[in-house]
Amino acid sequence: MTQSYEVFLGCAIPSRFNNYESSMRAVAKALDIELIDFEGASCCGTVVLKSIDENSWLSMSGRNIALAEQRGHDIVTPCNGCFGSLKDTNHVLHDDATYREKVNAALKPLGLEYTGKTKIRHFVEVLYDLRGEIEKKIVHRLDGLRVAFHPGCHLIRPSNVAGFDDPELPRKVDELIELTGAKSVHWDMKLRCCGSPLLIASEAVAVKILQEKMISANGAGANCVVTNCPACHTQFDIQQLGLKDDAGNSLELPALFVTQILGAAMGIDSEPLGFELNRVSLDPIRDILGI
Amino acid sequence: MTESWGQLKTFTGKKFKALDAEFTKEVSNLIGGKDLTACFQCAKCSAGCPVSDKVNIQIHEVMRMLLFGLKEVLETDMVWLCSTCYTCQERCPQGIDITDILFGLKNMAFKKGITPTGYLGARQSLYDTGRLYEPTDWERDDLGLDPVPELNIKDTKMMLDKMKLMKLEEDE
Repeated sequence: MTQSYEVFLGCAIPSRFNNYESSMRAVAKALDIELIDFEGASCCGTVVLKSIDENSWLSMSGRNIALAEQRGHDIVTPCNGCFGSLKDTNHVLHDDATYREKVNAALKPLGLEYTGKTKIRHFVEVLYDLRGEIEKKIVHRLDGLRVAFHPGCHLIRPSNVAGFDDPELPRKVDELIELTGAKSVHWDMKLRCCGSPLLIASEAVAVKILQEKMISANGAGANCVVTNCPACHTQFDIQQLGLKDDAGNSLELPALFVTQILGAAMGIDSEPLGFELNRVSLDPIRDILGI
Repeated sequence: MTESWGQLKTFTGKKFKALDAEFTKEVSNLIGGKDLTACFQCAKCSAGCPVSDKVNIQIHEVMRMLLFGLKEVLETDMVWLCSTCYTCQERCPQGIDITDILFGLKNMAFKKGITPTGYLGARQSLYDTGRLYEPTDWERDDLGLDPVPELNIKDTKMMLDKMKLMKLEEDE
């Protein structure tokens, strides 16, 4: 049965990682997932706005949810930040009548109302449900790919809001990755934040966290990092360029989106997978990916 | 340039004037604040925190300051160096929504002008464009992606005006 969602892209993907959107759409098409454009979408609400003013965050985020609700659709997003922000808003507005009334008062002049009917899902959740279909479509095995998978924070924590995977031992996206023949390696910094939200407050601290993560990924014998979030990817595919340990050794590993490796293994044309837009060189794993 | 935030760098030699029970109550009323006073200082929050070794004042110390009603907590670097990873909140044995409380503290600090400057620019762009970043059209063209759906900026501005986003500091 065809699943259908309004696709919430957020700001970071259309700005910096159009290859994530393009590869997501290609994988969705191959799996018969219908993605409807999200007319009138603003920023998700974002932890940035939540940090400044929670009322503004709830109203901005609540408006997006109410738009999909009015059109009778569920929401899917490929961004952990948007997923976390929208789910968190759902959580607060569901539990707290005072905030719900406040947000609905702000939505009323726009002809909108939040009631909480709309489901909010991350794209990897939808993929996980279809893992049987994905397995059948694997035509190009990625043997030799040793993935340091970075789940990111807001996909799994807080677990009572995210509701997706075990917050201390997430395995679902790893299972998807391993359908391709790739190995998801154990690395001790896997669950640690990428540091991306700190780029706005202190780039030095953000990059220090990234360095710790990359020392761990390299030490575990990974030959690439895989993410499912454009905010995390900003760390792994932009801040990581030229990253070294304190002794001056390169820590660079290719950074891929989960949809890019699934797409490659499913035999999808490499053009929509957008590998030419990956910034950290893919040369060490080009042969494995078949590109 | 001197940052407006993170000025409380150590407890050594620091004398606090008063314990303000009203402040503890105020924080308890924030989103996630209801169980604040259940903190028994096990410091598990700091044990899993990605910035524990990078801040002057750690998260379990912030929690203690909140119970003591010390408003100076807003001047600690922990408030703005919290990466919002939710590890502390996930693991707190008392079920305290620690990360959510920190969001509320950020809100309080912002109103007082205690904030990294990047947040001021982010607020302006969220207000002016409804987005944090603008689409890169040439990449979208190359990949055959449709333009990003349009947003009527009047809609988000109307809501953000109602929430007084651009006038938060006036409430102080």
